[in-house]
Amino acid sequence: MNAMDLLLWSRGPGLGIAIGIFLFGMVLRLFEIYSLGRKRDLAPARTGGEGSGWRTMFTRSVPDRAQFKRSPVVFTTGYIFHIGFFIVLLFLLPHIELIRSISGLSWPALPTPVVDLIAVITLIALIVTLIYRIMDPVRRLLSTFGDYLAWTVTFLPVLTGYMAYHHLLFDYTLMLALHILSVELLLVVFPFTKLTHMVTLFISRWYNGEWFARKGVAS
Amino acid sequence: MRDETLLDTLKRRGISRRGFLKFCATTASMLALPPAMAAEVAAALGKVRRPAVIWLSFQECTGCTESLTRAHSPSIESLIFDAISLDYHHTLQAASGHAAEEAREHSMKQDWGNYLLLVDGSIPLKDDGVYSTIAGISNLQMLKDAAAGAAAIVSVGTCAAYGGLPHANPNPTGAVSVSEIIKDKPIINVPGCPPIPAVLTGVLAHYLTFGAIPDLDDLGRPKAFFGESIHDRCYRRPFYDQGKFAKTFDDEGARNGWCLFELGCKGPTTHNACATTKWNGGTSWPVQSGHGCLGCSEPDFWDGGSFYKALSTPISPVTGAAAAAVAIGAAAGVAIGLANRQTKAAAKAAHQKATIADLEK
Amino acid sequence: MNGLNGIGVKVVHVGGNGNAHAVLREIEARLQLLVEKGEEGSIDLSGLPLMPEDYDLLEETLGEGEVVAEVHSLGPTRIHETGIPGVWWVTHYNSDDEVLAEFIEVAWCPEILLTPEDDVKDGLEALRARLFELNPKSPLGGAPSLDL
Repeated sequence: MNAMDLLLWSRGPGLGIAIGIFLFGMVLRLFEIYSLGRKRDLAPARTGGEGSGWRTMFTRSVPDRAQFKRSPVVFTTGYIFHIGFFIVLLFLLPHIELIRSISGLSWPALPTPVVDLIAVITLIALIVTLIYRIMDPVRRLLSTFGDYLAWTVTFLPVLTGYMAYHHLLFDYTLMLALHILSVELLLVVFPFTKLTHMVTLFISRWYNGEWFARKGVAS
Repeated sequence: MRDETLLDTLKRRGISRRGFLKFCATTASMLALPPAMAAEVAAALGKVRRPAVIWLSFQECTGCTESLTRAHSPSIESLIFDAISLDYHHTLQAASGHAAEEAREHSMKQDWGNYLLLVDGSIPLKDDGVYSTIAGISNLQMLKDAAAGAAAIVSVGTCAAYGGLPHANPNPTGAVSVSEIIKDKPIINVPGCPPIPAVLTGVLAHYLTFGAIPDLDDLGRPKAFFGESIHDRCYRRPFYDQGKFAKTFDDEGARNGWCLFELGCKGPTTHNACATTKWNGGTSWPVQSGHGCLGCSEPDFWDGGSFYKALSTPISPVTGAAAAAVAIGAAAGVAIGLANRQTKAAAKAAHQKATIADLEK
Repeated sequence: MNGLNGIGVKVVHVGGNGNAHAVLREIEARLQLLVEKGEEGSIDLSGLPLMPEDYDLLEETLGEGEVVAEVHSLGPTRIHETGIPGVWWVTHYNSDDEVLAEFIEVAWCPEILLTPEDDVKDGLEALRARLFELNPKSPLGGAPSLDL
C-alpha cells in the first residue's frame, strides 16, 4: 500500500467508517443519558428555571475569578487550546471545503499563515497542559488512561496537520493521509471518552442553571 | 553502428565542438541537473554504447506515443532518437504483421540482456489476459518474454507505471502495472497521462549519457522530475498562502489567476514536472491555463473522487453511512435505556423497607 | 510555434511570483565569487518557475550591455552581455527557433564564445592549407604542420 492508497482510503471508506462510529456512539450516549430520566418533581418550583438554564450555558464559559486564581495555568492553556483548536478546525480553507461538501454551509477562511500561527500556539498550549498534568501530583493521581488518550487524539490532528503543511518528516501525500487518519481516530474515540463533554457540557450546564433559578414552591 | 556512443553519433552528424557544448548544456538542463554538471554529461557521452530499444504498447490509447512524437525540441530529441535504435514500436514502425513481430524477435535475440524495454499501457490479467493480445500473444506473455532479456524497463505513462485508466474501478480486465508482473529488473516509471515528452526524453538521455538508471522515489519515478509536488512549484502557490481562491471557473478570482484548490486542484499530492517544464515547448500547463491539476502522474488518480472537488473533501458520499449510524445508534440507545430502566425498576422492587424494629435487632 | 501564433489568445498577466528576486540574489552571489575568486558560474532559468513579469523584472534590472553575439551550431545560440558586466544572458535555440535552454552565465566570457583549443589547431592547419594553395613555394605556406 502506497501513500496515495492510504490517502484514498482515508478520504473514502475510512471517513465513512469514522463518521459512522462517531454518530452511532454519540446518539447512543445521548439516548442513554436522556433515558435515565429524572425522578418526578414532587415539589415543582414557583418560577420556571428554563431561562436561567439557557443563560448559564453561556455565563459559565467565563472563568470564575476565584477559581482562575487557584490554577491559572489550567485555565489559560485550556482556553487557548480550545479556542485555537476551533479556529484551526473552522477557518482553514481545506476544512471549510470539507464542511461545505458535506453540509453545503461555508464561510470565509482565514489566511493560511494566520491559521498556521494559531496551530503552533494550540500545540504549545496542549503540551503545557500535558506537562502540568504529569508534574502536578494531584492531577497525576486523578488522571486515567482515558485522559491521556483524549489528549493524544486531540493533539495528533493538529500536529499532523502542521507537519503536512510544512512538509516535515514525510512527503505531503503521506502526511495528509496520516492527518486525515488522525482525525478519524479522534472521531472514533470521541463518543467513548471524556471528549463527549463537547456536547454533554451544555446539557449539564442547563440543568445546573435551571436548578439555580428555583425559588419557592408553586402553590 | 551498434557500438557507437552518443558522442560518435554527434560527430558523424558533423556537430562542432561548440555544438557539443550546447548539446551538453541543454541535456543537463533537460535532466534538471545543475549547469555545472554539463561537463560530466560531456565526459559520459563518449562512454555509453548506443542501446537497442523495444517499445511495447499494451492496454493504452497511444496518447503517450502522441505526446512523445510532439516533443518540443526536435533537434536535441531527434539526436537522442538517432542515438537509440528503436527496433520495434508497432505504431511508429513501417513494418506490420509478421514482419514487425520478426523484427522484435530478431532484436531481442541480437541484443539479449542489453536492450532497453519501453512499455506503455497496462497489462490485463483476468481470464488469462485475453482482453489484449498482439499477433495472438497475450500482453502478459509478451511482456514476460521481452523483459527477460532487457537491461532495464521504462514504464511510459500512468497505465504502464500504475495501471492507469484500465486499472480504474471496477477494472473489468484485471489490469495491472508492469511492476506488478516484473520483479527482477530495474524499472523506471515515467507516469503522466500522457507523460511530459521532455521528461521521457530526459530519462532516456540520462540512461544514454550515464548508462545507468536515475535516482528513483518510492514509486519508481526519477527524482529529478518527480521530486517535487505541483503545488510546491506552482506559480499560483502564493495565492494559496494568502487565502485567495477561485470559487468558479469564471469568477474574479479565476480571472486574477488565484489558487484553484477549491475547484479540485490535486497539485498538493501530485508529483510531476509540469510546473517547471511545462507543455508544448514551454507554452503553458494545465494550471496556467486555468484548470486544476488532475493528479495524472499518481497511482489511482482516476479513483480519487471528482476532479472538481477539493482535495480535503470525501471521495464518496458519507450521508448514507451517517444516516445508518444515527439510526442504529438511536436504536441501541433506546435498548440500553430500556435495560437501564429495568435495572432501576428491579432495584426499586428489591428495595426493603427498614423499620426501627429492624435497626434495634 | 507558427501554429500557436495563429490562435487568437488574450493573455492576462497577473504579476510575478517573486522568483526573479531569488535569481537576482543568486546572480549577486555568483558575481561576488567571480570578483573575489575568479570562479565562473551559471544559472539555469528553467529551474525556477518564472512568470512573464519575472522575466521583465530580470531584464529590466540587468539591462542591456555592449556585447551581442550569435553562435550557429545545432540551431542558433544568442548571447548578450547584460548591463552588469560579467553577467551574460545565453539562450539556446533549435533550428525552428524554439528555446531549448536558457542560462544566466556569470563569467569573463561565456564558454560557448571561446574558441575550443582543438578548433584553433584545426584552424591553423586549415589556414596553412589555404596559404599553400595561394603560394605553394612559400617556406611557411609549404610547412606541413607544427607539432603543437
